[in-house]
Amino acid sequence: MSLVPAFVLITILAFILVYAWPSIVFNGTTFFTSYIWNVGISSRPPVMVRGFLVPPNASFGALLFIESTLLSSGLAILIAFPVSFLVSLSVELYLPGRAKRPLVSLIELFAGIPSVVYGLWGIVVLEPLLLHNIEPWMSANLYFIPGFSGEVLTGSGIIASGLILSLMIAPIITSVMVNSFDSAPSEIKQGLVSLGATKWELGKYLATGYSRSSTYGGALLGLGRALGETMAVLMVSGGIVNVLPTSIYSGINTMAAAIVAYLDSAIGQGTGINLSALAELSLFLLAISLVVNLLGRRIAGRGALRGVENDKF
Amino acid sequence: MINSDMHGNEIKWKRRSSRKARDIAARILGYLALGFMLAILVSIFAYIIKGGAAAVSWNILTTYGNTSDGGVLNGIIGTWELVGMGLLFSLIPGVFGAIYLTQSVSRKHVADAMRLFTDVLTSVPSIVIGLFGYLVLVIKFNLGYSLVAGGLALGIMMLPYIMRITEMSFRNIQREQVMNAYALGADNVNVTTRILLPQASAGILSGILLAISIAAGETAQLLYTASFNSAGLPSGLTHSPVGYLTYFVWNGINQPSAYAHNLAFISAMILIISVTVLILISKYEDVVGRLLRRILGPLGVIINRVFVEAPSEKEDKGTSKGEKKWKK
Repeated sequence: MSLVPAFVLITILAFILVYAWPSIVFNGTTFFTSYIWNVGISSRPPVMVRGFLVPPNASFGALLFIESTLLSSGLAILIAFPVSFLVSLSVELYLPGRAKRPLVSLIELFAGIPSVVYGLWGIVVLEPLLLHNIEPWMSANLYFIPGFSGEVLTGSGIIASGLILSLMIAPIITSVMVNSFDSAPSEIKQGLVSLGATKWELGKYLATGYSRSSTYGGALLGLGRALGETMAVLMVSGGIVNVLPTSIYSGINTMAAAIVAYLDSAIGQGTGINLSALAELSLFLLAISLVVNLLGRRIAGRGALRGVENDKF
Repeated sequence: MINSDMHGNEIKWKRRSSRKARDIAARILGYLALGFMLAILVSIFAYIIKGGAAAVSWNILTTYGNTSDGGVLNGIIGTWELVGMGLLFSLIPGVFGAIYLTQSVSRKHVADAMRLFTDVLTSVPSIVIGLFGYLVLVIKFNLGYSLVAGGLALGIMMLPYIMRITEMSFRNIQREQVMNAYALGADNVNVTTRILLPQASAGILSGILLAISIAAGETAQLLYTASFNSAGLPSGLTHSPVGYLTYFVWNGINQPSAYAHNLAFISAMILIISVTVLILISKYEDVVGRLLRRILGPLGVIINRVFVEAPSEKEDKGTSKGEKKWKK
């Protein structure tokens, strides 16, 4: 029975690989170099291209999706990491001990809120706020930063996705950090305090010194979750097709969101190559999620994650 | 204050006041970050519950509907049917897997590898499970859009949580107690049913609740495994699509009509409230656990009496494999 997870994981990998194989052969490297994803004209009879029957005009370049995923997840980690550090600092060191458990539970609620609810909140609250207030201000005042100049057309896009993702991964990073502060030997903490360290210095030393590995590991675990997040990002990313983002206000379309968006048309497509291309996209997404997650666990080490495993990651 | 080290070089001391100022700045920033997070949490709950409560009516809660018309009852029932199905597929492998990991795996690196696979399974993106579910369960195994396909897709997601948390609650049991049981001649089955399961029942329950709360909020796995059923409840286990609340949220808010938006808000409100309750119970499992242990403690003994005969010739199994395992 302990082998069931391993079996499931290998089965998923194997099947996705098998289904992705025609697309891997058909696309070759253009999958990573082209950003044009065209499902083809399904009303016309399929044509033979490079030994495969495909709908006319079909082309599968995932560059836009890969870039979108990296941009939104990167922004998410840029926001979530310092916020989580500050939150864990205040919860762990500045606030009275009895406030810690309820506060940490509240922060961890963020990990439990369904992603469609984030999407709903993003559409109703965040997007109007970004479109009418925050993004025009940024465009007018921060234009000297590369990528910050440009026209604000919608509230959805990189910033909305990054913000929503940062909310979803902050509890992961926070609980790893709080836990690593907790599990640091009290000799070290007391030693620092008796040498006259302020609480800030204590926190800084623990995060960048003694508990360094769980700090980085926690960030990677958060990143791993951000990469694969589907529904919330689908709802606030803008669902852009065939245009690379030009500024931070541009709409995007992440890998996970694109799989949902294109699956419906791929299912109805007779040649099967569209489905296979989505399988290839899934395979790539799965591969980077697994690598980032494994790396995070490797760096954080088993000890650092003990006790925070009840959380959603 | 000494201003030079033993070689006479001048030491630059950071002024105490600047260190103090930095500490105060960190404290303020920390409170701001915490306040910011809590404000967003309040904003999410307030908007969803306000939107849901303003539109909710008894009629909507008790009629079937598609996402633009009717009610959300098929979503409510469908969600719990799917989650129950997921639990059915994940509970037994999860709990037995954890028992096996604690009791029977003697080599440490084998157990570690099994744990790693379990942990890594949680990082598989939900849409990848969804696509796998569509390609393999719905098409290849010919289950159709159905309760079983959707339940299996959810079960894949729930399994690692149940297994890891169950195992963790086993590990939290005092080792002396387990050792004493072995010393008194208990075998692995006895130890499992009389000590591990009753003692860990609260932990296991909290794992199950957490897994349920995660599964209830999932969408991407279900879109192409359970599809959506606007006519009502699924008519069978296979080849009959199921409706669920998250679909109401996603599809409803993407439609132009205000009624669809209302249904989305109501569904989101039901989801967020049930998930919050489940998570809070699972986070405060020690409080719940104290109650539960009182009830379930004797149950483990009863299970043992019913299913396992009293040990007769097994008395000299004191140094069984299990005991060595616990000794480490």
